[in-house]
Amino acid sequence: MLRIEHLTKTFGDKVAVDDLSLHIAPGEIYGFIGHNGAGKTTTLRSVVGIQSFDSGEITIAGIPLRSDPLACKRQIAYIPDNPDLYEFMSGIKYLNFIADIFGVPSDVRSARIADYAARFELTADLAQPISAYSHGMKQKLAIISAWLHEPKLILMDEPFVGLDPKASFLLKGMMREHCDKGGAIFFSTHVLEVAEKLCDKVAIIKQGRLIRSGTMEEVKGDESLEEVFLELEAE
Amino acid sequence: MVKTLLKKQFAEIFRNYFYDTKKNKARSKAGTVGYFIFFVLIMAVLLGGTFAATASSLCAPLYEAGAGWLYFAIMGVIAILLGIFGSVFSTYTGLYLAKDNDLLLSLPIPVSAIMLARLMGVYLMGLMYAAVVIVPAIIVYLITVPFSVPALIGCVVFLILLSVFVLTLSCLLGWVVAKLSTRLKNKSIVTVFVALLGIGVYYFAYFKAMNLIQDLIANIAVYGPAIREKAYGLYLFGSAAEGNWLGMAASTAFVALCFLLMWRLLGRSFLTLATATGSGEKIKYTARRAEQRSVPSALLAKEFAKLTSNANYMLNCALGTLLIPILGVALLVKGSAVAEVLFSVFGGIDPVAVLLCTALCMACSMNDCAAPSVSLEGKNIWIPQSLPVDPWQILRAKLRVQLLLTLPALLFASLCTVFVIKAPLALSLALLALPQLFTLFFALLSLTLDLKHANLSWTNELAPIKQSMPVTVALLGGWGYSVLLAALYLLLTPPFGAAVYLWVFAAITGIGCLILYLRLRRRGGNDFMEL
Repeated sequence: MLRIEHLTKTFGDKVAVDDLSLHIAPGEIYGFIGHNGAGKTTTLRSVVGIQSFDSGEITIAGIPLRSDPLACKRQIAYIPDNPDLYEFMSGIKYLNFIADIFGVPSDVRSARIADYAARFELTADLAQPISAYSHGMKQKLAIISAWLHEPKLILMDEPFVGLDPKASFLLKGMMREHCDKGGAIFFSTHVLEVAEKLCDKVAIIKQGRLIRSGTMEEVKGDESLEEVFLELEAE
Repeated sequence: MVKTLLKKQFAEIFRNYFYDTKKNKARSKAGTVGYFIFFVLIMAVLLGGTFAATASSLCAPLYEAGAGWLYFAIMGVIAILLGIFGSVFSTYTGLYLAKDNDLLLSLPIPVSAIMLARLMGVYLMGLMYAAVVIVPAIIVYLITVPFSVPALIGCVVFLILLSVFVLTLSCLLGWVVAKLSTRLKNKSIVTVFVALLGIGVYYFAYFKAMNLIQDLIANIAVYGPAIREKAYGLYLFGSAAEGNWLGMAASTAFVALCFLLMWRLLGRSFLTLATATGSGEKIKYTARRAEQRSVPSALLAKEFAKLTSNANYMLNCALGTLLIPILGVALLVKGSAVAEVLFSVFGGIDPVAVLLCTALCMACSMNDCAAPSVSLEGKNIWIPQSLPVDPWQILRAKLRVQLLLTLPALLFASLCTVFVIKAPLALSLALLALPQLFTLFFALLSLTLDLKHANLSWTNELAPIKQSMPVTVALLGGWGYSVLLAALYLLLTPPFGAAVYLWVFAAITGIGCLILYLRLRRRGGNDFMEL
């Protein structure tokens, strides 16, 4: 589903991502962990196509990002670490805008919006302007908009930040459901317990370099993910 | 504390002068100086020059009639009106809608210190507007009358008092707007309506005032003493600038009292208004089947939603949509009489056609929605960048908003012009084509500039809407183009006539459009994705 080959991105003298390679197969929930400034967001933004990169190749569902970015973007949804949405729109207008862009037919979108908004208990607030939403509500709206067009690959940057426990539980279920249907998820998180329980595979990044990746068992062995992460960070 | 806040406030206000957002680094000294000189020239030459002319026509006759105080009273009232008009909506946005209000309020900073720092921004804005009227008035006065130290002191005191009074009134009106905003649903539309009403009243009063002033000058011997007797406060206010110590003391006491009352009013409500999140009334959601839109239509609807949700954006960048048709109607109603006068002054249809074309172009300059449209994406830029949409489609939607708001209105006004001056076919077609190409050219130019100089890190939306380079170029560039169009014709009086002249301009403008369009198509998408 997603192939990242030798991705390198620099900002001036600073190497943010250094020769990073990752492969994510359909059906996989792939966790991406690392300390602040390790290069997680830069990698995600490069995959989404909103940040250019210096070298390497990114392929989404077999389509090279460099040569056909629009085709790649049609396969993905992205939720950034801070859900800055169009505050001049209401929740429902934003969802309809996203549905229009992805060409989701009217009856299909209505059913999906009704379903997801009900799950996140956001239905009653859909007519409110987004400017009146709390951080958690914006995050829920961003999640609904990501699921709305049934993308093959969902990329999320710290998706659990700001969500209440019920919404977090719901999101974890939706992530599993999405991957069970053949989709894939690549997300960054600092919540190692969540990563340990939820992810099929995990990658640890440090100073832009991938220092360990693989299935959860391969990465952590008999230890906890937290112990492994802290050991690797200390090296 | 206040010093730190003021430093932050000034850093924000003058950020564009010291910092190049595109290159993400500080400007060179030469760049900063150049930016300041450019700004001062605009304010001093364009606006200051206009008011210097008004002051020159008033000063000598009023002073000689012993009514120098009335001269300052008139110029003072104009300065107050302009100051309030220019800064009232900035006051509301700057005081209550600043994005860092929550952050500052969460810090151990007294609310009064935050207010004071915010007010300094408002004060500078009001001072700037008041100064472009009153500084030329003072210069004209000091040149016209014999020099005296009390008059010099009075002029300085007068300028300070005026600027504080403008601040007081702007804050009061900003407070009213904020109060209304917490209660209204369609507040941006209501705000625009109120502002337009204000503009209407301003121009009505301005035209009436001009007649009144002429009448005043003609009969100053009668009116002067009468006004002084019946409006003694106005006399004291005006005489303060002439160096009257009583006038200075009374005016200072009055302005200080007003300021203190405003400060108390603001202090009592600032926290509530700055943290208000809307009317509080929840809008009930009813699930409806939404019609599926095409991508271009969805993007266009999004741009229009952005525009109509923002009173500042509408007032500063789309006012021409209303004023251009008004110009057309005015031409239909009064055009024949005006045309006759112009024909007799300029001796034929050709110069009149060029002058009216200039007026149409100037009116179009008031619509520049494309100029801040990229910058206004702000922190939302990730949304259009991550969507499966050709960036050109996003840019085209931004262009379309400006063109849709301008071109139909302009076509109507152009047709009115053609009808009124009974232009022959070639001239008529030129009058129809050139303003349309002008609109397209400046829309393309300002969008290109905003792409190159986008400011996505603003904390106050007024920064991209009012204080950005693309907006300045769109507005002043439009005026410059218009003036050039008229001036060249009047200076050269080309033998081939106005139709050919206008077509030559149209052709050059058309080539400019083509170059900008091709550049935007080829590199605009990349520029947008690199933001």
